[in-house]
Amino acid sequence: MKQLIQSQGFGAIVGVAVMLAVFTVIDFSGWWTVQTVSNVTQFTAILAFVAMGQALVIMTKEIDLSVGSVYGLAGVAFITMEPTLGVPGSLVLALIIAAFAGFLQAVAVVKGQLPSMIVTLGGLFAARGIIYVWTGGSVHNFSPAARSHPLTRLLGGELFGIDAAIFWLVAVGAILSLVLWATPFGNRLLATGGSRESAESRGVRTDRIKIAAFVLCSLLAGFAGILTLCNQPQTHVTLGENMELEAISAAVIGGCLLSGGRGSILGAILGALIVVSFRYELIALGAPSSWYITFVGVVLIVAVIFNQKLARFLGHSV
Amino acid sequence: MTNNNPLIQVKNLDLHFGAFHALKNVSVDFHAGELIGLVGDNGAGKTTLIRVLCGIYTPSSGEVFFDGRKVEKFHPKLAIDQGIETIQQSVGLCDNLSIARNFYLGREPLKRILGIPFLDFGTMREKSSRVIRQFGLRENVSADDEVERLSGGERQSVKIGRAVEFKNRVVIMDEPTNHLSVREREHVNELAVQLKEQGLLVIYITHDIFQVHKLADRIVIMENGEKVADASTDSMTAEELEEVIRQGGRVVEKREAV
Amino acid sequence: MGLSAAKPLIRRHAEIGIFLIGAVLIVIFASTSEGRWANLYNIGTIMQMTATLGLMSLGVALVIGTGEIDISVGSTFGMGALTYLWLAAHVDPSIAALAAIVVGAAIGFFNGLLVTWTRTPSLIITLGTLMIFRGIAIALTEGFSFSIPYAARKGWSYFLLGGDVFLGFNTALYWLIAVLVVLMVMLKAMPFGNRLLAVGGSVESAHSRGVRVERIKLSAFVLCGLLAGFAGTLEAGKLGFADGSMGRLMELQAIASCVLGGCLLAGGRISLPGALMGAFVLSSIQSYLVVTGVQPQWFVLILGVIVVLAAYGDKSLRQWALRK
Repeated sequence: MKQLIQSQGFGAIVGVAVMLAVFTVIDFSGWWTVQTVSNVTQFTAILAFVAMGQALVIMTKEIDLSVGSVYGLAGVAFITMEPTLGVPGSLVLALIIAAFAGFLQAVAVVKGQLPSMIVTLGGLFAARGIIYVWTGGSVHNFSPAARSHPLTRLLGGELFGIDAAIFWLVAVGAILSLVLWATPFGNRLLATGGSRESAESRGVRTDRIKIAAFVLCSLLAGFAGILTLCNQPQTHVTLGENMELEAISAAVIGGCLLSGGRGSILGAILGALIVVSFRYELIALGAPSSWYITFVGVVLIVAVIFNQKLARFLGHSV
Repeated sequence: MTNNNPLIQVKNLDLHFGAFHALKNVSVDFHAGELIGLVGDNGAGKTTLIRVLCGIYTPSSGEVFFDGRKVEKFHPKLAIDQGIETIQQSVGLCDNLSIARNFYLGREPLKRILGIPFLDFGTMREKSSRVIRQFGLRENVSADDEVERLSGGERQSVKIGRAVEFKNRVVIMDEPTNHLSVREREHVNELAVQLKEQGLLVIYITHDIFQVHKLADRIVIMENGEKVADASTDSMTAEELEEVIRQGGRVVEKREAV
Repeated sequence: MGLSAAKPLIRRHAEIGIFLIGAVLIVIFASTSEGRWANLYNIGTIMQMTATLGLMSLGVALVIGTGEIDISVGSTFGMGALTYLWLAAHVDPSIAALAAIVVGAAIGFFNGLLVTWTRTPSLIITLGTLMIFRGIAIALTEGFSFSIPYAARKGWSYFLLGGDVFLGFNTALYWLIAVLVVLMVMLKAMPFGNRLLAVGGSVESAHSRGVRVERIKLSAFVLCGLLAGFAGTLEAGKLGFADGSMGRLMELQAIASCVLGGCLLAGGRISLPGALMGAFVLSSIQSYLVVTGVQPQWFVLILGVIVVLAAYGDKSLRQWALRK
């Protein structure tokens, strides 16, 4: 039992259980309907990808504020390049762009020895600026042919009535969890965040680990953007705005400590579920859409404080 | 010299940092006019104990009495206002500030112009450099220089000078002779005795029992967060006390009646 | 040889870098824009932009000085502007401005309280409040208009609060100079400044010398919110209207100004004139893009790159100056 409580995802598991119970009892909008559940899980899958990447970076004791913009940039690249490169080509290019964005920022953090907060804040705006300049503010669409391309269907379609994004999430989530808990890389990643000096003294190349975490994070964010656009192939300059906040909230709700070295992939996914469910409920209650921004802010602060208190209660030094 | 009412009385002090039990049921009395050697290996709890006394840490349970009154709130400001001056080992100086600004940090001398409190730069510079020079600050270092540029010994001399300048009732020295030359070390040790003779309580922390045995009236040994020995230097030799440290944990309470 | 003689100077005054950059940019901009950049009207516009951004940057610099960060100032700025415009329609603008400043200070107090009580990273807390107050600002402006027609903006209070020009410059500039002088004196010649920088230099050391670390941090956040609210007031006083997105991206510009101006993000070393010069440089770049007809979207991209380059340049300059 104690082991369960101390596991990083525990708070999120309890949170999900309580939330589902509450939404079942106080049911304004028909919570347990096919429509709601399908929408919530679809959005959860997308946010969970971004949150998992964020969790990896937070575990190395850094932070990535640029994920919302990278998500948007990959999506925009995917749609904009499709007429020239075709679906597979633009997919690969979008992922390369995302990975490169992560790599550039990681190098600035690791080699330039700059705080990741300021580098990725710069990255947030630089990537958003590229979206503005590239699209010129116009909206791009997929052609009907591209929409029915098998790869588009594989990423954005449905299987047995369930969104493909869910299957992708289960697969990637399982692989990442396995990598984190059962490979030397995962061990070193956690060590890097827990105590950089100790990790280095044991010969861990912490700079490489951090670069890998940033690249993975941007890749996952880019992949989430592509998944979104395969499902709803229309870009917008604001694509992914504020998503970094939701992702950090989800990762923190899922038990990632900002002081590094602790976190869980499952927790990040459940955290994403909580954030998305509340957003959905808020819209169902008829609140004006702008309150949603306020709500994300509140969730972020409450999650961080709660998580910190829980960690202190469990005796971690935070 | 000592009277029967302890100046600082520590009763059943416990302190936890998360899962780490840093102080275990520590009880000890300190009297005015005493020079106490607080000895133990690294991690024994010496520094933790004195950080409670100077208000940096708040104990998890237990009581501290200062001058007969129970200490309710722990904050360095309250301790300093009560006259407890501490030479900390690793903290105490802000690298980004000048010597003079560090010297008077938290108790800046003021010059009021139109009722507005401005820093009295003249006093700060003049007094701080005069005091610190006695403890080995080179002549070519100015009070306006940033602490970042000082050597380990010079940093130590700033801390010692500050404690001597503001001393009131208690001076706690945590490894005061670290980074010092042999001559400066002797000077600091003489100073500790002088302060004691002026009627102050001096708590001298070190891991070198032989160094402090020559100076101290009483030795308190800590081990693993516990007090394991508390004996006057007349009743036990340095070799005997060293044996206690070596065995680590055999509790000795051998002290002449006061 | 000549360069190494400058080391001690640069060690103490990291803001020298930004003043040099500023001077170079002025020459480049003036010589490549055929008089469209360097004319009195445009300089006046840049000064007005510098004034509002500069007030925010000064507040952010104080918070950075304590080793924390406040990225909620963009929303605080917007809330200040909305409060001012809403009240100025009913009561005298001076009272409205006071209310806007109080709102700003209250937001700063809220930030500071959350940071000091919960000992949570200020980045996350203020990221949260940035969103909270942005959402509130948008909600407030949905269905209500916050504007005062130009004809109604008459009288001394409007004149003083950024509504008009005095000696060729918007009155906001004179507020900025006054605030700069007051803050410089507080920082350099009063105990508060000494303690604020001590907290940023080493929390443990400041604490051990009896400095009330929490109070210092709290007051820095309050001052920061207050200045952001006042900057919003002055901007609203000039424009006469505001919407829910007012102040967007300003938080990044304010932080960029501070970093450009030689404020160390780790705390303890800040330069208020440097932060102002940073604000001037950013405003100049923005204005240059406008007068040369470059798409304004480029500014967002350039801003992001400048932040990272400024952080790197500042770090390198310092390391060079510390080398013997």
